[in-house]
Amino acid sequence: MATFFGEVLSVYSRAVEEDDDDLDDENEDERIHREIEEKREVHIVWCPEVAQSLEDSGSNTLQCSDLIIAVGTNAAGFLSAYVLNTESWDAVGHVSLWNERSRGSSRQSIAPLPGEPACLFYRHRDNPAVLVCQSTCYIAEDQLFQWTEKVLGCLQKRGLSVMVLSDSPVAEYKTPDYLYGSAVPFLRSLKSSASKGQALCPALEQPNILTGLPAAVLSHCQVHQIPAVLYQCYTDVISPDSITMETYKPALLCLSKLVKLEPCLSADVLRKFAIITEAQSNLYT
Amino acid sequence: MSYDRAITVFSPDGHLFQVEYAQEAVKKGSTAVGVRGKNVVVLGVEKKTVAKLQDDRTVRKICALDDNVFMAFAGLTADARIVVNRARVECQSHRLTVEDPVTVEYITRFISSIKQRYTQSSGRRPFGISSLIVGFDFDGTPHLYQTDPSGTYHAWKANAIGRSAKTVREFLEKNYKEEHMESDTDTIKLAIRALLEVVQSGGKNIELAIMKRDESMKILVQEEIEEYVTAIEKEKEEAEKQKKKT
Repeated sequence: MATFFGEVLSVYSRAVEEDDDDLDDENEDERIHREIEEKREVHIVWCPEVAQSLEDSGSNTLQCSDLIIAVGTNAAGFLSAYVLNTESWDAVGHVSLWNERSRGSSRQSIAPLPGEPACLFYRHRDNPAVLVCQSTCYIAEDQLFQWTEKVLGCLQKRGLSVMVLSDSPVAEYKTPDYLYGSAVPFLRSLKSSASKGQALCPALEQPNILTGLPAAVLSHCQVHQIPAVLYQCYTDVISPDSITMETYKPALLCLSKLVKLEPCLSADVLRKFAIITEAQSNLYT
Repeated sequence: MSYDRAITVFSPDGHLFQVEYAQEAVKKGSTAVGVRGKNVVVLGVEKKTVAKLQDDRTVRKICALDDNVFMAFAGLTADARIVVNRARVECQSHRLTVEDPVTVEYITRFISSIKQRYTQSSGRRPFGISSLIVGFDFDGTPHLYQTDPSGTYHAWKANAIGRSAKTVREFLEKNYKEEHMESDTDTIKLAIRALLEVVQSGGKNIELAIMKRDESMKILVQEEIEEYVTAIEKEKEEAEKQKKKT
């Protein structure tokens, strides 16, 4: 094209695209897609013994009778205080994943530091068919399916029973009645249809729904007919709090049938798991 | 359309959601209880746990507004500081202009008017505090008023605000006896008993301020509170023994 100053510029015609350029673009798109997929892939890192057991079993699955998943800091804190505080649990693995809110997997093979948001697995020494998973990191919507398939895919479906404990803000609880302060925190339950037996608290009323990891796990259990029960705790605090953790106590009844639990917990132990921000938060007096 | 974003917008069913949410913020503060006796007014608060290195004299829920009026609040600390400062300035301004100390009702009305103004201007959120204002007028009448984020105020014989206010109020309704209010000790004991219903670990987490007619506000020291707590526990034991006998 000729410009006002007389020089001639050669410009690429937009009407005709050369084939080579096309291919490059597509490859580039594909490459980018693949890179993103790889980055967002969910990896489970098992400890050597468990990895060995997985290999030894023909189907790459572990024998598991009970899986307890805690989603959220209060649910995880409850398990830490009431269940995992006895010396008979081994850390057997963790899930490493990357998303915009959980940037953990730059150190894929190294286990997460204590206190970091993470997804950890524990197994009971005396009863290795009991697995506990504490999930405190954010798992993006596109990773939920992968997480569920990979974790529950590692476990034999026969004889498996799942319990999920999950936190939720009470602001998301929809009810026609006004909730007085004394009612909060409280538990609601949901079960898969394969789950027989009574839940220990009222069922979650309509139109409330579950989202996120608890929903993914429960959906998977419903589809694969695994008995699963979920306890959702609605609470009005954002940080780990001992009163919220104590709300999960009815779940102990189920757990005590499986493993030996600490009979009575002092308030001090609980407070250790509740974040110290209570004292430092001067927002409210 | 969401009606809870702007303070100046009513929802179709007549709610001002921001004001109602501000009342939720109040419930995040620790409990404060106020009792109006005949010759003494009492404010008791649940002491917040302070961090180890924090100077606990700077974490005060009870503030004197003037020689004859003091108040306790529950909710956002910073909002309370603003309200208290303005009230204190107003008390002095009143003294200088009218040459009389404020009446409890006057200063309560002043505080409530400020709070109400903030529920009607755009761009500002309501104050997230409720307060209990107690004191004596210059004619010697004791008063207890409660204000809330919407800017309303009412006089009470005994009331509670903050975290477990409902429980404490029910206790007060059950146990408030007009004839006991003649005695200073019984008035103070009622406030402490009400707080003990909801305060964990007893007397050492309670702070109490009293004002007798024509005297200035006095904050009780820990030993005095413990004395009352011991007396209350003894009375409780004796009441239970009586119950078992009958």
